[in-house]
Amino acid sequence: MTTANDVLSALQSAFPGVVEEAKVSPERQLWATIKPDKIVDVCKYLRDNHNFDHYSGAAGVDRIDEGLFEVTELLASHGAHQVVALLKVKTPRDSPSVKSLTGLYWNANWYEREIWEMLGINFEGHPELYPLLLSDGLMGAWPWRKDYKGYPDYNTADRAIEKVNPEGYTDYSFSPTKAEIEAGTVPYERPKYPTFREREEAEIKGESEMILHMGPQHAVVPGPFLLDILVDGERVKKAFLDVGYIHKGIEKIMENRTYVQGIPITDRLCYMAAITNNEAYCGAVERLLGIEAPERAQYIRMILQELSRIQSHLLGTGEFLTLIASAVYSPFLFMIIDREDILSCIESVTGARINHSFVRFGGVRNDLPDGFKDMTLDALKMIRQKTEEYKELFLSDSIYRKRMEGVGVLSPSDARRLGVSGPPLRASDTPYDMRREDPYLLYKDMDFDVITRKEGDSKARVEVRLDEILESCYIIEQCLDQIPDGPIMAEGVPKRIKPNPGEAYYRVEDHRGEMGFFVVSDGSEKPVKVKARGPVYAYFQALPPLLEGVYIADVVAIAGSMDACTSEVDR
Amino acid sequence: MVLSAITEFAAQEPKIYGLVLGLVAAAILASVINVVAMLLVWLERKVMGDFQARYGPNRVGGRWGVLQLGADAVKLFTKEDIIPRGADKPVFVWAPIVAVATTMLVAGALPFGAVIIDGKEIPLVVANMDISAFYIEAALSIMAISAFMAGWSSNNKYSMLGAFRGIARMIAYEVPMGVCVISVAIMAHSLNVVEIVQAQSIWFAIAQPIGFVIFAIALITDLGRMPFDQTEAEEEIIAGYNTEYSGIRFGLLYFQEYIVMLLGSILLVHLYLGGWNGPVIPVISFISPMIWFFMKLIIVLVALIWVRVSLPRFRIDQVTDLGWKILLPLSMVNLAWAVVVGLYFA
Repeated sequence: MTTANDVLSALQSAFPGVVEEAKVSPERQLWATIKPDKIVDVCKYLRDNHNFDHYSGAAGVDRIDEGLFEVTELLASHGAHQVVALLKVKTPRDSPSVKSLTGLYWNANWYEREIWEMLGINFEGHPELYPLLLSDGLMGAWPWRKDYKGYPDYNTADRAIEKVNPEGYTDYSFSPTKAEIEAGTVPYERPKYPTFREREEAEIKGESEMILHMGPQHAVVPGPFLLDILVDGERVKKAFLDVGYIHKGIEKIMENRTYVQGIPITDRLCYMAAITNNEAYCGAVERLLGIEAPERAQYIRMILQELSRIQSHLLGTGEFLTLIASAVYSPFLFMIIDREDILSCIESVTGARINHSFVRFGGVRNDLPDGFKDMTLDALKMIRQKTEEYKELFLSDSIYRKRMEGVGVLSPSDARRLGVSGPPLRASDTPYDMRREDPYLLYKDMDFDVITRKEGDSKARVEVRLDEILESCYIIEQCLDQIPDGPIMAEGVPKRIKPNPGEAYYRVEDHRGEMGFFVVSDGSEKPVKVKARGPVYAYFQALPPLLEGVYIADVVAIAGSMDACTSEVDR
Repeated sequence: MVLSAITEFAAQEPKIYGLVLGLVAAAILASVINVVAMLLVWLERKVMGDFQARYGPNRVGGRWGVLQLGADAVKLFTKEDIIPRGADKPVFVWAPIVAVATTMLVAGALPFGAVIIDGKEIPLVVANMDISAFYIEAALSIMAISAFMAGWSSNNKYSMLGAFRGIARMIAYEVPMGVCVISVAIMAHSLNVVEIVQAQSIWFAIAQPIGFVIFAIALITDLGRMPFDQTEAEEEIIAGYNTEYSGIRFGLLYFQEYIVMLLGSILLVHLYLGGWNGPVIPVISFISPMIWFFMKLIIVLVALIWVRVSLPRFRIDQVTDLGWKILLPLSMVNLAWAVVVGLYFA
């Protein structure tokens, strides 16, 4: 089994002098600072010789005191070993430029674009450095830089400039106003890029082709995002995805809050996965603080995460079914009803149904209430029985199978290349689950199967979710049996959280896939940088290639089976 | 006194008398159909609620929510009637009217049950034509034109796709449906719906099981209900051909669907389920055919609602595949069967 130290020594012998600093902490994470001009070679070496075939994301940090930007590339492997390589590249602040990894990893595209538009770090060799999350008019403001002062205090409507175009429609633009330029918060001239619309219209080739908008307001979308499909009749020729309609700047907000104040904000990443987002953030901060939650607290966290996984999969599947059927499709409502019982269980512990902000650094907020075990076991029994019924129903429904079988097939190699994780990856015959790959909490003691399917189509993705509900039930039952008595908060957690300077990365298996938090501390009360690496961001990036050549109706069946959550993409 | 005056007038001016009588009948027919279709919307919402473990309308008009539809209708009447800037205005404006008018054409030839007076069965039908089954088929097909008018004139991509889908589907399904009607006519030795009903000593659903299934599927397609509502798939093309409609015009298009659902179910009952045939119920023999007729009708309607809540939607290519590759050959088989059995029984 490859360990982080093996990788480090191999790296040092293959590239003498390129690794500037390196450490292994904790055991499976390799932190290394790489010379900027060698980063592509190092990543290529790691990918080809050490199976680092999973590009997990990138985080940009503004070290304003040192006059540097840092870009940390997160690399991992799809099951060959459990090492996570966090390779840091430094670049001067006045002319920031880093080599792009898009040539090695297809899915580096969006992560690098995000860093580029937010921090203004240029990525050499990136094929399409266009605005992704920010609106075109905001380009050049570089909002994640520490010296960004924000806009003067008036609202968007005041800034909008109204212009009636020759066709008679009203356009709004957000050019910098005089006051803004005087305040020094925006540049005089913004860089110009082809807009999303110009880029997609350039692809129209013939008279019979047109662009059909699915979104930002459309029945198919779980939140506002724009999925434009170039159609020829009923066939999709190409798909374009634009996100950022509800970008909340959560990562920037968290830089301006104390660590504890960050917890409720992580809830809002995705309302379906509040507890796992909490867990990922708190886990990262716990690593910085060097504390660990007591055993009982870890069990409680596991129970709640699995309960939350059940409710998320139920709602995700149900919502998806309304997309291939109609809004009045009965199984959707049945699943909503089943989900109520699970939500009641969660509510009895946390006091909230959706956004519970329940995890604390070094423990949890409450203990389990009396009677929780019986209540949960009853609910699980019901969920088990119902899930089996749903599986049977979908197996026997020939229309359902016609719509789902062989639709949106992701081959195992494609799924890895496109960087998807969670149920869609496992449906493509890749048993990649953070609970096994990067065991957190006490999952290493639990007995459960990582559900996989061979087909990789939409039907397989739904089946994986339904089977995972059953596995989650099993995990919860084990937890309820084994949970020990004891404290629920670790001792010696300070009132004022001030972690030692350093960085930590902690990833968990979210309901939708790999969720990681990268937290950088400088020893003060507020984090320097919080990077949320969400699973849905990765799916979204993989969606357009998946939609090429399908029918319009299949767009719904494919996009829906990914179980998307726009809120998390537009963090 | 009045009665004799009317008979006298009828003898003197038969044409004017016929016109007035026709107008009165049409007015009665239109209002009855509309009220029943409204009740049907209510029934659907209520039954759907039952299927899905929820209440359905339960506030307006007592705990059964019977006045909900009245409230909705008032809302639709009073909303702004928006006509998009790029729309083809005359076509856009006329499409809902054409839709409702063509459905009323169907209603004119359909018997709405029968009553027994002096031991004689009198079918309740406005126009008892010799070829009414054929006529109804033809009038049902015109509906696709109105949907196409609506979709094409809206100047909207979703609507246009919905309109295209509607036409593709109509062509694929009218043919097997027509062949089924021919099979029924062969067995009944008539194209008159009233005579077809009277010819059913055995229900044609039993005599022609394949034809019944094909006709039912084709009918659901014609009605544009799940699993065949591709023309207005809200999850893909946002209500399709009626995306751009609002206010009373949307109300008409929406309502028309329910009128067609009602008329289509009646047609199914007449052609395959023996219409108003049934044992005469003693004391109330006068309306006993009506009772049988409505019982069958309600069963068919609830079955349609049941299908709607429990099946996912076909993709458009799968729909046309099903129509051309499976239903059409099968309907030919059914036709052959009808010819053989029909000749044998004749």
